[in-house]
Amino acid sequence: MYLTVRNATKTFGSFKALDDVSIEIDRREFVCLLGPSGCGKTTLLRLIAGLSELNSGDILLEGAALSNLPARKRGFGIVFQSYSLFPNMTVAENIGYGLKIRGTPQSEISRRVTELLELVKLPKVAGKFPGQLSGGQQQRIALARAIAVDPRVLLLDEPLSALDAKVRAELRGEIRHVQRSLGIPTLMVTHDQEEALALADKIICMNHGVVVQAGTPEDLYHRPATRFVADFMGISNLVSAEPIRREFPDLMAQRPEGTGADHVACIRPEQIGLTPARDGNATVRSISFLGNLRRLEVDSAIGPLVVETHGYNSCHEGERVNLSIPPEACTWVTDDMPQQPAETAA
Amino acid sequence: MSGVETMTTPARRQLDANRLLTLVCVGLPLLGLVLFFLYPMVVVFLRSLTVDDGYGLANYTRVLGSTGFWRATEHSLLMGAATTVLSVFLGFIIAHGLYRCAFPGKWLIRGVIVLPLLAPSLVQALGLIFLLGRNGVISRALGVEIDIYGFWGLLIANTLYALPQAVMIIGAALVLLDARVYEAAEVMGASPSRQFRDLTLPAARFGILNAAFVCFTITITDFGNAAVIGGDYSVLATEIYSQVVGQRNFNMGAVVGIMLLLPTVVSYAIERQAMKRQQVGQVTGQVPYRPSFAAVRDPVMASLSLLICAGIVAVIGIVVYASFVTLWPYNMALSFKHYDITLAGGYSSLWMTIVISLMAATGGTLAVFLLCLGLRRLPRSAAQSIQMLAAVPAAVPGMVLGLAYILTFNSTATPLYLLYGTAALIAIVNFYHYHTQGFLTVMTGFRQLPKALEEAADSLGAGMARTAVDIIAPFIAPMLVSVFFFLFMRSMVTLSAVVFLTTPDLSVAAVTIMRLDDAGLTSQAAAFATCLMAVVCVALLGMKATLTLMGRRNRIKRPV
Repeated sequence: MYLTVRNATKTFGSFKALDDVSIEIDRREFVCLLGPSGCGKTTLLRLIAGLSELNSGDILLEGAALSNLPARKRGFGIVFQSYSLFPNMTVAENIGYGLKIRGTPQSEISRRVTELLELVKLPKVAGKFPGQLSGGQQQRIALARAIAVDPRVLLLDEPLSALDAKVRAELRGEIRHVQRSLGIPTLMVTHDQEEALALADKIICMNHGVVVQAGTPEDLYHRPATRFVADFMGISNLVSAEPIRREFPDLMAQRPEGTGADHVACIRPEQIGLTPARDGNATVRSISFLGNLRRLEVDSAIGPLVVETHGYNSCHEGERVNLSIPPEACTWVTDDMPQQPAETAA
Repeated sequence: MSGVETMTTPARRQLDANRLLTLVCVGLPLLGLVLFFLYPMVVVFLRSLTVDDGYGLANYTRVLGSTGFWRATEHSLLMGAATTVLSVFLGFIIAHGLYRCAFPGKWLIRGVIVLPLLAPSLVQALGLIFLLGRNGVISRALGVEIDIYGFWGLLIANTLYALPQAVMIIGAALVLLDARVYEAAEVMGASPSRQFRDLTLPAARFGILNAAFVCFTITITDFGNAAVIGGDYSVLATEIYSQVVGQRNFNMGAVVGIMLLLPTVVSYAIERQAMKRQQVGQVTGQVPYRPSFAAVRDPVMASLSLLICAGIVAVIGIVVYASFVTLWPYNMALSFKHYDITLAGGYSSLWMTIVISLMAATGGTLAVFLLCLGLRRLPRSAAQSIQMLAAVPAAVPGMVLGLAYILTFNSTATPLYLLYGTAALIAIVNFYHYHTQGFLTVMTGFRQLPKALEEAADSLGAGMARTAVDIIAPFIAPMLVSVFFFLFMRSMVTLSAVVFLTTPDLSVAAVTIMRLDDAGLTSQAAAFATCLMAVVCVALLGMKATLTLMGRRNRIKRPV
């Protein structure tokens, strides 16, 4: 493994921000740290960057310990949510700053700055000051500044959170393109599951300072390990075993051996089949139109469920419908949040 | 990976280089605070306890038993209270006019209101004498004999001197109140008078409280006005002066100094608390309030504000005018003859004051910058206690600090004696006298600096020194400029702290003005004061120009 964090623990006073966390990043890999605010993801990124110190554990880069190396000697690139361009320097000076510190000749810096501005698709802004650019443009420059020094690891701390929806989607594509073409091992912190699904080779889902599940986006979406992950990665219907056994007995076959009440069934809304039927097993309670899809809340024998259908659909509120759930659509997950009512989370 | 070192031992050493720099940044200014603030304060305290055969409370019993001391204390407290009430009341009128009323010509009021800050405090007193004294313009015009020396003259002079502070503090509190709050009240049907009672007044409450304590402190610690127009109305500040300079009784002076320190420390502590309470309500993304014209309120507020400003202009303007009058009040023809200073030394003290002020401003700005820079990297607990120490000097009256300096540096017991009688020592006392204000301003600048900016520089490979020069200093440059000019202007006009430290060979402008007035050369005092005000005005314009220039550069950089 290229970058390894082993048994990292970090406390702030009596608060345990990270509790025995271990993660790995491979060469050329794009890894997303995903989780709700306060889950420790930013703390972990800052530890890797060298901006704060571990209480215990190791951070290894190609097998060598980083612990005693201050941030400025690690040779990592970092992009913050707040852009954080130096307001007193032009765009070119910002991008070239890391190279200047390293004593790179001015001609070489200019060449590199031009090249990077091309890469982030802003070739004409070299002489401008950060304040003259839009948020999206500033973040592109921040990205260029971070990669100018050929960083050994690129760290992105919620880089898209401050941008509006359209710019965010655009820049998301840009980050992916840059990362793939340069092959820089990258760690991004985000609380937006959609962003993580779209960008990552590997998602590390965290909660309360521990890693809950790590895997490919497909793994986390389709085969969540716990109720928390299922809930966090989009909308899911979580139903306990008893009603399933009664109403949809064929779903029980998927349940792993030896599991009991601590497991609940996770069914994604788009995988439930829905057909209008006078003698159907459920009633439509409400419908929201979301453009490309419709989201229906239905009352069924196993409790309220969320169903999503694509394309035209003639259902009306109050109508009877028939629900069908294919066995492969159901995943049994550990109920790691039993304090909440074990019904539907939407 | 150009420039990235391998992960072996040099890393550890580099880390220590940053630590070392932090220690130097904090250590040098801290050493200054200890040597030039804490130590003299300890000395003055010990001297107040020094009696013939060691230590004891004999000095205190003597002072507390004298009627003179109690009279001065009573006068000081009464004068402080009266000035506070008057200046806060007038200050609220002007601040309310400026920030909550709509009328033209506010720039004029803004310009006039700072005038008293540009001159030594005794200029107000001089101006009043030219207006209302026995040979004053108004007294002669009305043909009445007004006894301006004493309570009333001192009250007016002190009020004029404290007024700018009151306006600035109350104004700052009013500005904090967002326009949307007024809009919400308007929509809910609150009348303008209700809005004033329910929104404006509560918002200004802490501002008013804060202003009251500042005005009180300024008044009881001021020496210049009391010395010139106080007459027989003795106050604590003049009492210290007469003990030390008149009777050469340093220990008794120290006792009176400690007694003067008590109310100012209490007042300052309360003021700091009020300030903290006020800042709680602050939010980002404010919408500034834009007052609309109200037919009765605004003309009234405008005339009141202009009337107060006219008073300030009259008092300061008459000094300038009188400096050109050939023989006040008998020959009113204009001439330059008073600008030929006949007192020994002539204008040399003015040039010396400029040099001293430049020293205080340069060294002081650098010192507070280094201190704030270092504090940012210190553990919170250590940083907080140093911060508290850095904020203490504002509680110490200039007279007491000056007395502490002469007791400390005019003693051959330590090598610090070498500093006695040098311009450097006067620059140092000026800096520590105004240390707190400079420190807090730069600290505010540092608070606005996003942590991520430093972290970005850090991960790009910049060390602490490099980050300080390339990133931090440009970011807080406007604050540094303000502090530089603030220290310069205060050093130019301050009298209380330096009055004990001047020697026959080394004097400063404010002391020269006092000596000229003492010698009966009032017109020459006016001339000298005019020159001094001109220098300070130029400095003020220089500051405005620099800040505007920087603001313009910043506007290009960050369009809103």
